[in-house]
Amino acid sequence: MQKYIWLVPLLPLIGAAINGLLGRKLRFSETLIGGIAVGSVALSFLISAAAVYSYGFGGHAEWPKPYLTSQDGFSFNWIPGGAVSINQGGEARHEQQAQKQIEERLAAMTPEERSQPHPILIATTDSPRYSLLNIEWSYQLDPLSSIFMLIVTGVGLCIFVFATGYMHGEAGFYRFFAYMGLFMFAMLVLVMGSNFLMMFVGWEGVGLCSYLLIGYYFDRQEAANASRKAFITNRVGDFGFALAIFGVIATFGSAQYTEVFEQAKSFPIELLGHWGILSWIALGLFIGACGKSAQLPLHVWLPDAMAGPTPVSALIHAATMVTAGLYMVTRTNVIFQHSQTMLLVVALVGAATAIFAATIGITQNDIKKVLAYSTVSQLGFMFMACGVGAFAIGIFHVMTHAFFKALMFLGAGSVIHGMHHEQDMRRMGGLKKYMPYTYWTFMAGWLAICGIIPFSGFWSKDEILWKSASTTHIPLGWIVWLIGTIAATCTAFYMTRLMAMTFWGKERFLEGGAGGEADEAHASAYDKGLAAHDAVQPSAGDRPRHEPGEHVGPVHEDVAHHVGTHGHGDSSHHGAHIPHESPPSMWVPLAVLALLAVIGGFVGIGPAFRSITGSEHPGGRLHIVNWLNPIIWNPVTREFNPAEGGHEAAPAEGAHAEATATAEGAHGSASVYGDTGFNLAHSVENTTHSELATEWIFIVISLIVAGIGILLGMLFYVWRPELPNIWAQRLRPLYNASYHKYWVDELYGFVVTRRTMDAARGVYAFDSKLVDGIVNGLAWLSRQFSRIVGGVDKYFVDGLVNTVAAFIVRLMSPLFRAAQTGFTQNYALVMVLGLMLAVAAFFAKDIVTAVRAIVASVF
Amino acid sequence: MLNSSIPTLALLFQEAERGRFDQMFQAAAHPDLSKFLVIGALLFIIGVAGVLTRRNIIVIFMSIELILNAANLNFIAFSRYLSQTGNPNALAGQIFTVFVIVVAAAEAAIGLGIVIALYRNKETIWVDEIDLLKW
Repeated sequence: MQKYIWLVPLLPLIGAAINGLLGRKLRFSETLIGGIAVGSVALSFLISAAAVYSYGFGGHAEWPKPYLTSQDGFSFNWIPGGAVSINQGGEARHEQQAQKQIEERLAAMTPEERSQPHPILIATTDSPRYSLLNIEWSYQLDPLSSIFMLIVTGVGLCIFVFATGYMHGEAGFYRFFAYMGLFMFAMLVLVMGSNFLMMFVGWEGVGLCSYLLIGYYFDRQEAANASRKAFITNRVGDFGFALAIFGVIATFGSAQYTEVFEQAKSFPIELLGHWGILSWIALGLFIGACGKSAQLPLHVWLPDAMAGPTPVSALIHAATMVTAGLYMVTRTNVIFQHSQTMLLVVALVGAATAIFAATIGITQNDIKKVLAYSTVSQLGFMFMACGVGAFAIGIFHVMTHAFFKALMFLGAGSVIHGMHHEQDMRRMGGLKKYMPYTYWTFMAGWLAICGIIPFSGFWSKDEILWKSASTTHIPLGWIVWLIGTIAATCTAFYMTRLMAMTFWGKERFLEGGAGGEADEAHASAYDKGLAAHDAVQPSAGDRPRHEPGEHVGPVHEDVAHHVGTHGHGDSSHHGAHIPHESPPSMWVPLAVLALLAVIGGFVGIGPAFRSITGSEHPGGRLHIVNWLNPIIWNPVTREFNPAEGGHEAAPAEGAHAEATATAEGAHGSASVYGDTGFNLAHSVENTTHSELATEWIFIVISLIVAGIGILLGMLFYVWRPELPNIWAQRLRPLYNASYHKYWVDELYGFVVTRRTMDAARGVYAFDSKLVDGIVNGLAWLSRQFSRIVGGVDKYFVDGLVNTVAAFIVRLMSPLFRAAQTGFTQNYALVMVLGLMLAVAAFFAKDIVTAVRAIVASVF
Repeated sequence: MLNSSIPTLALLFQEAERGRFDQMFQAAAHPDLSKFLVIGALLFIIGVAGVLTRRNIIVIFMSIELILNAANLNFIAFSRYLSQTGNPNALAGQIFTVFVIVVAAAEAAIGLGIVIALYRNKETIWVDEIDLLKW
């Protein structure tokens, strides 16, 4: 089945092409468009599932070896690059050679000799190296890409189904699904590509589709601005990514993952503060990841991206595209683990983003904004995991987050749909009575993200915090843990707040007309007899009605003019604006995702439960850590982790072996990365003298903080609803900072945008004043010069000509004029004289002779 | 010692060497070529002088006729001379003369027509008053 994985990206592309190119021309019905889109993604999902099954568990399972489609003939020479000179990483190779020679010498010595100090002469060569760079287009199936394939197609399928319901009645229905299909294609190329260039193509492709989909309602200024902001911010990251790819090619002479990592794994490890070539590559990659995954300081685009339709927010800006950064960091974990500096940077940036976004989420009122900041925060958690060296756990969190955040976004979409495009949570409340399916599925997502024990979010988040506390990869792990724990508390708090404001409590939507202005626009377009056209018609949906900071109270307005032209449901509800439950096409995906959010965590049960499950990572290959292990590089053995026993190993034995391996890894990596200072988990362990107890202490702590967050949320928004205002007053500066998102947008506006505009103005001034001035000055000079030359010509040359000619003419003209008497006879006389002269001249000799003869005869 | 390439002058000076009376007699009885040529030349000179000096356009015409007739006379003279020497093409001169007379008649007709037209426009046939060629 693996050999058919090239179909996985292709099918959504074909669907998108059909929808995008023909959907409008042939006036496809919504059923047909939705059918094509959903069908293509469903097929992709089935093929992915079958391929992953046969790859990992089938009879001829190739796991954990990466499977490339070029093995079965599917590849073509995409970029026949030719020869490249490998001019980077010479120093690292020197060290590598030296290390190898030292090891060889040491191996050749006897133990007695080895105990003595010995000078060892090392010879290294640094001749220029060349490589043949041919980049092929082939797909790679390995543990990492298979997880991403399943997430992208599986969660994508749910969201596609949801979107057919959510986007019902949109004039741009075909366009939406064309973009979505294109996005699926790009995302699948990103995660399935077998080299950096293909990842880059997918990377740019998803960026483009993100831009298109955020700007789906491009007739709204806000959406158009948000799409541009997302695109430009991502350019900053892509710049780093592109540099990193150049660095990879210049260092390893190839872009193929298998070749690059095979070379990279024997490079020397660059400790903290040492900036070798791999650190620089990792920095570039991480800048790219920051842009795509909305990490500080490039996070600003993601909250604004909520201007797009809600399914887009769920698919692109929560479940898949924003995790591309995680995919990349995990894919290149060999390179990142070679650079302790970059690991620390990744962990600290992740932690900072987590707390930063979580605190902003507390005060936002737009339901999608809360979820957006929550996403940023969770992405921070994932990067924390990568930074502390737990890449598999990071991917685990990607997966669980994809489930519960997609669920919550779709739930929010369902709420917005049911509330007739109202996004402000202050106008919601008590919705659980009206939208039971949405409520109960949302509840699952809420418990998952808060980290309550059996739900999926708990397993991944707790593992991340535990790995941060116990990391030996980087110093300051305890700070990462502390920040993460606080961020987790905030997460629980703002999610409870969201639940309370949306589903519980007073039914505030009755206080005023809840219909968004989109409905009014619909009605007005209907009244004016305008045809539905996606560029002209004001779009329905996802239109935040309120500016941040605007006072929202009971609005007394006549709601009777909301005449129902709105596409969905019966039109009777428009009068009263009672929320309604969404159609099955929307709540069925919610239910599927809710199920996944509940049970999805069981593929990653942590080692703390080994006394219950009988194994540190129970489930063999089904456990995500075991599954991903072969692509994670081990800095101690300097090899990729071996595939663990899996099915055949006895549980107890396996547990023992794994425990030993973990212990060795934990203490061994200390030797690799040097002393990392205070380690929280080890300190606790020294007190408790039990590894298991230590792990349980941390689990209890994370459960307690989640409980505190939830209880605080309940206290503030359910039991004592007057408290938020009181505390907002008391903590006014903090509240303002959070409410205004720490003024980052304003800061960027001032520091970057305004300065860019200034620079542009400066350059314009330079151009218009100096460059144009030079050109104009030259023009002026040549004009002056030509004036002088003209003067010389006019007065000197012409004067000379005129004077001389006039003089001659004046001199000669009387003579010639006199000849012209006008009398015919004068002319005739001249003719006769001339004739005579001619005859005389002709006979001159004869005449002379004759005259002489006459003279002689006379005398 | 005379240059035989100048027949007219040679003939003149050959005659001068004979006795005067004899010469005159001979010349009157058998006028030779040179006589005709001399008369022709005289006619020509008179005609040219008339053309150059007279102001009346009719007289100028008449003078032109004189010139033409001078030429005719030459033709006839040479024709006669050549027939005496037995040249078979001697008659060509006479035929030429007929042509010249025809041309002269035509010329006179056109010329007089022009003169009449001129007179009607300018009311004069004095050529010194017809100076349109002067700018």
